Amino acid sequence: MDKNMKILVVDDFSTMRRIVKNLLRELGFTNLDEADDGLTAWPKLKAGHYDFLVTDWNMPGMTGIDLLKEVRANPATAKMPVLLVTAESKREQIIEAAQAGVNGYIIKPFTAATLKEKIDKIFARSAG
Amino acid sequence: MQDERAKQELLEKAHQLIESIENGDDAGTDELLTSMTVYREKGLFEEVGHLTRQLHDSLSSFALDDQLSDLTDKEIPDAKERLNYVIEMTNEAANTTLNAIDEVLPVTAEMKKKSDELSAKWQKFMSRELSLAEFKKMSAEITEFLDMSCKNTAFVHKKANEIVLAQSFQDLTGQIITKVIALVQNVEESLVDLVRIAGSQESAGTEKKQEKGKLEGPAVPGVVVEGAVNSQDEVDDLLSSLGF
Repeated sequence: MDKNMKILVVDDFSTMRRIVKNLLRELGFTNLDEADDGLTAWPKLKAGHYDFLVTDWNMPGMTGIDLLKEVRANPATAKMPVLLVTAESKREQIIEAAQAGVNGYIIKPFTAATLKEKIDKIFARSAG
Repeated sequence: MQDERAKQELLEKAHQLIESIENGDDAGTDELLTSMTVYREKGLFEEVGHLTRQLHDSLSSFALDDQLSDLTDKEIPDAKERLNYVIEMTNEAANTTLNAIDEVLPVTAEMKKKSDELSAKWQKFMSRELSLAEFKKMSAEITEFLDMSCKNTAFVHKKANEIVLAQSFQDLTGQIITKVIALVQNVEESLVDLVRIAGSQESAGTEKKQEKGKLEGPAVPGVVVEGAVNSQDEVDDLLSSLGF
């Protein structure tokens, strides 16, 4: 796994963005950027060469699931791995995310170990 | 038309009344006065009856309003659970943070003490004031210190990460409180509706708001959300059953 990959962290709560970025830094990732909802994230994703998207679901403006659908619909970003980190725990929502093409789904509150495990799994799969 | 006829009747009775008073017909006067009063009261009673019926109907339809019964049966008890959970989460986060600091502070104090001691000895060594025996002792101490230093910095690092993760309460409690604020607004609107209904006797709309795509937010102990999973393991199981 390339530790220099460019990662975008999207969450409307700045504390959660800091936490996720902190944990990612702990895991050795240094090329981190952030956005506070789908509307601000999408132009960044379109413009920059991001390798990985970590996003919340419930955000004002544009939700994480809509952002995921947008990412999958656009050829330039369609193959980007997307990890949802959200408080939403309804089965139908998890299924909706799976159908929209999410690569991993973590429910809040989560641990550093869970984050590491999901990221390892996502990139083990995409490498293999 | 009816008003016109009633007016004519009343006018006729008034003429008769004047006549019977002028003629000194007491019994006739009494009878005419009574019939005129009854006429007036009858209209008043009809109006009161009409208003009562409308108010009753409005209140009945309001009581049957799904949204209101949902508020009292489910939403408000849920809000109490949610707010209790906020207290619990903030309490837990504060304790996790303070515990981590309690564990870290003695470690850093010990490191500081050892560093000061070794630093003093090192100064003596640099100014050639240390005997060979003392030097040997200091070397052993330095070895021990470096070993301890590696372990302790790793420990402090681990605790710092625990503190970072404990801050996730801010996002989750924020989401929960936002939901309770929405509920309070909903209750306020329902109360305004009630006042409006009581005031103007208009029937309340019983349309239920569309709830498709509604997000439940953080799981709260004691608040049952239909179709929600209970742990990360269940998420993983569900996803793997979908071929993930």
